[in-house]
Amino acid sequence: MEHLAIPTIPVQTWNSVYEVKDALREGTIFPDLNLPFFAAEDANGIKEDSFHSISENADAQKRRETLMLKIQQISFYMDDLRLYLDTHPDDSGRAEDIKEAGGIRRELLKDFARECYPLTFDCMAELYGQSPYPAKYVWQDGPMPWEGACV
Amino acid sequence: MWIYEKRLQFPVKITKTCPKTAQMIISQYGGPDGELSASMRYLSQRYTMPVREVGGLLTDIGTEELAHMEIICAMVYQLTKNLTIEEAQAAGFDVYYIDHTTALWPQAAAGLPFSAVEFQSKGDSITDLTEDLAAEQKARTVYDNLLRMIPDPEVREPLKFLRAREIVHFQRFGEALERVKSRLDSNNYYYFNPEFDKSMQRKEAKER
Repeated sequence: MEHLAIPTIPVQTWNSVYEVKDALREGTIFPDLNLPFFAAEDANGIKEDSFHSISENADAQKRRETLMLKIQQISFYMDDLRLYLDTHPDDSGRAEDIKEAGGIRRELLKDFARECYPLTFDCMAELYGQSPYPAKYVWQDGPMPWEGACV
Repeated sequence: MWIYEKRLQFPVKITKTCPKTAQMIISQYGGPDGELSASMRYLSQRYTMPVREVGGLLTDIGTEELAHMEIICAMVYQLTKNLTIEEAQAAGFDVYYIDHTTALWPQAAAGLPFSAVEFQSKGDSITDLTEDLAAEQKARTVYDNLLRMIPDPEVREPLKFLRAREIVHFQRFGEALERVKSRLDSNNYYYFNPEFDKSMQRKEAKER
């Protein structure tokens, strides 16, 4: 039944989702919600190897940037999934998605902390549970996110 | 409580200085439909939201908007980081430079300072969610306008990402409104304020 004087938005039903690596580029995990602007139809693309070398060697930087992009991709997948679940708390079919993405993200954060620098204080604390633990305080290691040196 | 993660939600890597572009983009930091305004709107509205999952959604979107604010600030920072006085003057960025040098300060493109007057927290679920739907559309229009004007692909990629998020958020706020409506009498959604007249809501739920 239609109702006057109140907006109605159709509730999304779970259909297909993008691959984790494509979702970040598209800005959503849902093809159904990907509605681009005509003046923005230039090819999408995060340039994965157009980084400026800073002081360290190129291989280490490349590894760091690859890991960081993977973290951004899987984390974004979880961001968009979370908003979907906020308004679809009864959709029980998503348990596997949450479990799988959560596991991948946890491992990547751990790898990044070990090989590069910790992204959260918890990641840093975890480093101190290992042997040998860091000789100096590492929370301030690595570039700041807005510097663009580590995309 | 919030926990900081030392990364951007979407990568920003801008190599060309352009104060003109920075001056336009800064509107999505401190302008009327900017990310700061969006975040403060949702994070303010959530406390009194009677439907629990809607309060949760406002928290999650309000938090994501903070991450978007950081993306916008990163863009402005990178566009002006190697700025010369001559470039600032040629682009009309000198008027910003006088008060803020190349620091970040929340303002609209035309110089208006950030203000809470730009958003509402009204204490009525239907009113607030309708405002939130409009807010996402207004922000989308700003991103459309920016995409018409800015040719640099390094700037366009994050702008396209942020625009796409406005559409997803619009959908979620629409679904949140549906959840609020489902708890009300559809013969008259406006019979009482679901956020304030709590006894009416309980009475109605019992009768149904």
